[in-house]
Amino acid sequence: MSVPDVLGPQERLVLSLRGLYESYGYTRFPMRRFEEYALYLENKSFLTSESVLSFTNASGQLMALKPDVTLSIVKRARPERGQVEKLYYHESVYRLSATDHEFTEIGQLGVELLGDVDLYGACEVLRLAIESLRLTGADFVLDVSHMGFAGGLLADAGLDGAQREQASRLIRQKNAHELARMLSQWQVPPFYAGRISQLPTLCGDFTQTLRRAADIAVGTDMKQAVGELSSLYAALDALGLCGHVRLDFSILNDLDYYNGLVFQGYVEGAPRVALSGGRYDKLMRKFGKAGDGLGFAVYLDQLQRVLARPAGDDVDVLVLYGAQDEAPGIFRALEELRAQGLRVLAAGTPPPGLRAGRTLRCRNGELEEVSGAC
Amino acid sequence: MLNVALPKGRLGDKVYRLFKAAGYDCAAMEQDDRRLVLTDEKGEMSYLLVKPSDVAIYVEHGAADVGVVGKDVLLEGGSDVYELLDLGFGKCRMAEAAPVGFREDRQRPLRVATKYPAIARRFYAAQSREIEIIKLNGSIELAPLLGLSDVIVDIVETGTTLRQNNLEVTREILPVSARFIANKAAMKFKEPAISGLLSSIQAQLNQKEERP
Repeated sequence: MSVPDVLGPQERLVLSLRGLYESYGYTRFPMRRFEEYALYLENKSFLTSESVLSFTNASGQLMALKPDVTLSIVKRARPERGQVEKLYYHESVYRLSATDHEFTEIGQLGVELLGDVDLYGACEVLRLAIESLRLTGADFVLDVSHMGFAGGLLADAGLDGAQREQASRLIRQKNAHELARMLSQWQVPPFYAGRISQLPTLCGDFTQTLRRAADIAVGTDMKQAVGELSSLYAALDALGLCGHVRLDFSILNDLDYYNGLVFQGYVEGAPRVALSGGRYDKLMRKFGKAGDGLGFAVYLDQLQRVLARPAGDDVDVLVLYGAQDEAPGIFRALEELRAQGLRVLAAGTPPPGLRAGRTLRCRNGELEEVSGAC
Repeated sequence: MLNVALPKGRLGDKVYRLFKAAGYDCAAMEQDDRRLVLTDEKGEMSYLLVKPSDVAIYVEHGAADVGVVGKDVLLEGGSDVYELLDLGFGKCRMAEAAPVGFREDRQRPLRVATKYPAIARRFYAAQSREIEIIKLNGSIELAPLLGLSDVIVDIVETGTTLRQNNLEVTREILPVSARFIANKAAMKFKEPAISGLLSSIQAQLNQKEERP
């Protein structure tokens, strides 16, 4: 059997994604499975869940199995101003599963662009995100937003830290009714409350939504966000990449780490976010790095259902041999079938539950068809 | 086609009547039918009748595109879904209740009996009050009467059960009502159908409000 035939759909996707990233000059970033626990403790809110699988190393230091890759990359990256570093990774991360609340190992692929992130760089990362989703073979949507828009609005409205966090949570849930209730409870001036309460539903077709966003933009942050999104769209549109791109201002990552462009990808057939990314200059500053950062991760676990292989036979041929058959004779009989590229399983008795395309019996080195095969 | 998860029972019946008034009727729902998946003649809607506490799970995992669920269940499960509308019915409140005349001993952890451990934990953590949770599945009011717990955290509708058991509300936690929720990915791929349903329901609710 040739090597490509052995690969399952997920392995194929991983290799195609790696090929895609390498073709744009991204190099694989090697790393260990574990990091010092303190890294995650200090950046708790960057993680999607606070639970980290920890252990003590030989010198008594508390370590953790990586729940996230970006932090490890940012910690080690050394891009100066005026430089770029283009990296990708394919790693396992260890997180609490949303379904059974136990730790699971999740395969993750991602791209990070560090250093000077200009308009070309942002377009390149978005293009890679779009092509990554396209490689799954299913219909997809990439929702794009800009942290400066909601972030600037919430700050200008005079909300304190806790209120901003609560408002962000409600915006993410598209929960307009409770958001309106909280805004009136916090006595936010109607000028701002009216604008904030539009955020959950400010989504859809890119150009139309951007026009609506421009209408309610006040302050430099919001106007800058609209400007950046508009030039990004123009560039992507010129490349014919906008068919699956939409705008959704209810996407809000953590305001302490993310600052510019943020995006989330959905694939038809997968019920949760399958790709997520954004611009994290603030995270770079926390680590004392001069450069900016933009990247995304593809969640392979979410794509399992989309990539599922149709259930077929376990092997092509089952060869049953008897006690009188000699090993060399059985091998010779198999060889011919294997040479045809078939998957052949030899056994004395049929393994329970095995589905074979056909079943042959080996008798004195000769193969004969078995009627009523399993 | 939209898959709609509705809670079996009184709330589900009421929600279906609202959907019907909004033009999303399904003849099979009105017959005494034991099937759990019911599809309308036009093939636009498929109603799934599930246990109230499972509605958000069906929606989060994409087995249903949208659903209707009580805010209490939604908060307890912490499901990652869009909460698009407050239907305004099934109204009650989540509250802490204690035996009439109960005086809290702040020197030791408060023993709390509840069906909603996650909500209770969050509420007391926000007040920096140490608690001990006793998770029960029903007849919560019994716990303080038998000394199993100091207080209970539960939903209160009219307060009759509390009064009959000599309990009273000591602290309000949050108001509860039925919410219309949607799966995040479904919202991307079936947006026109979901928005259509949502605005018809909204129109129905507004009409009801206007009627005296």
